[in-house]
Amino acid sequence: MTPLLTAELLKLRTTRTFAALTAVAVGLSVLITVLVSILTEPERDTVLTDVFTTDTSGFFIMILAIVGITGEWRHRTITSSLLAMPDRLRFLAAKTLAFAAAGVVLSLTIAVAVAIAGFTILTIRDLPTPGFGDWIAQVGRNAIVAALLGGLGVGLGGLIRNQVVAVVGILVIGFALDPAVAALAPEVGRFSPFGALPTAASDIPAEDAGLPEDMDLFSPIAAIGLMLAWIALFFSMAVVLLRQRDVE
Amino acid sequence: MAAIEIEGLSKSFGSVHAVRDLSFQVQAGRVTGFLGPNGAGKSTTLRMLLGLVHSDRGSATFAGRTYEQLEHPSAQVGAVLEEASFHPGRSGRNHLRVLAAAGGHPRERVDEVLRVVDLEGSAGRRVKGYSMGMRQRLAIAAALLGDPQALILDEPANGLDPPGIRWMRELLRSEAARGRAVLVSSHLLAEVAQSVDDLVVISHGELRASGPLEQVVGAAEGQVTRVRSQDDERLAGLLRERGITVHADPSGALLAPGAPPELVGEVAAEHRVPLVELGVAARSLEDVFLELTSDEP
Repeated sequence: MTPLLTAELLKLRTTRTFAALTAVAVGLSVLITVLVSILTEPERDTVLTDVFTTDTSGFFIMILAIVGITGEWRHRTITSSLLAMPDRLRFLAAKTLAFAAAGVVLSLTIAVAVAIAGFTILTIRDLPTPGFGDWIAQVGRNAIVAALLGGLGVGLGGLIRNQVVAVVGILVIGFALDPAVAALAPEVGRFSPFGALPTAASDIPAEDAGLPEDMDLFSPIAAIGLMLAWIALFFSMAVVLLRQRDVE
Repeated sequence: MAAIEIEGLSKSFGSVHAVRDLSFQVQAGRVTGFLGPNGAGKSTTLRMLLGLVHSDRGSATFAGRTYEQLEHPSAQVGAVLEEASFHPGRSGRNHLRVLAAAGGHPRERVDEVLRVVDLEGSAGRRVKGYSMGMRQRLAIAAALLGDPQALILDEPANGLDPPGIRWMRELLRSEAARGRAVLVSSHLLAEVAQSVDDLVVISHGELRASGPLEQVVGAAEGQVTRVRSQDDERLAGLLRERGITVHADPSGALLAPGAPPELVGEVAAEHRVPLVELGVAARSLEDVFLELTSDEP
């Protein structure tokens, strides 16, 4: 498995897409942090979630994962990938682990950039900053969520070969369908792997993530468990589909 | 045991029968040409052999094991398939580094195979800037990464210039000389005739002929005798009286398919027709290929 994982990580590092989306993710997260730090006056109890949860790594790593797996079909590199590893389950497992690892790296990169911007501005403005332990715990939760969304992206992308359809589809789900379900049926929306579960796993209040205030979010541990169940479901479906497909 | 063995292989795509009950073998140390018209089922057969397309029936194995069963597939089989398979934004060297990592091959092999295919100078460039010939060389480099026992090449000369085609021919011969089994599909019949030891010809997904090149070329529709005389019109009439089919070739010489030169000479001698030329007509691989593949299944 190690050679495969190495190869998948090398694939990520040797195209410009990963670098470009990483730069956008870091830039966007820092921009939000700067604006929140400058334009609001967070209190000691809420400063952690107000300023230090602007990590956009989850969204971007999921998009990257979908682009990564569908790109195998788009550029026909699926042929050389499956020639190197004809066991399609192991191929998809390696890709899932690679994007989970990339999610962690992306999240930690963003955490460092956000921390530099947030702590600097809050200190200059003489506003309260979170305790180091609380911040580290939040960074850890964000990294776990990024890893989970990276894995989820591979499973989702594995179901759809067309890259454009897959990316547009996830944007429609993430920005239209999922918020609509959360607003209309919060008891159903709390199970969503795109909004409610990552929010719960990050231990962010529902209203801070744009979810209905009355949504009864799961505990972080339960949310992580449910996210893993979603990943297992999509991964299994993607493996079955990939095993059935002819690579013509 | 054959290095590569195809046994009763069949594949349909909906109502289209791409490959039907195909069987043939490829021996180690020999170059086997895999010929057939467009749509004959060559690429589908090669993709089934490599586990990329699922067969409906039959088996395709390397020394008794399917591609999926090989422990280190890229160290045992190298493949160049017709359609290029590269990420356009990745450099040639990085493409090979990814494949070397996935196959567990040492990084030094990347530079070694880049040298073999003469791509060292362009290895740092992104593949989207490569010419077709450079992409083909990169695909060949990828196939050679694991120094495999068997090479499967689908139209490897595509995009190569004449020196590249000669280089390819020498590569195939040298790999066979090292004991490797080489299976190569191609449309370039003249090139195949110069490169291969054995031939497999398919049409409409079915086997039409297989065996050593000379045997396949010699066996198709028997012998054709070519004869010229001082009175071709009279000789043609005499041969027809003996039940021999005769027709003239573009140069004006008479061709008698299925009649041995001895019989033609005997008829001419009996009637005292002086001969100018008598022998077996040389048949090209192209002639044989068209004969074998022209009829409906």
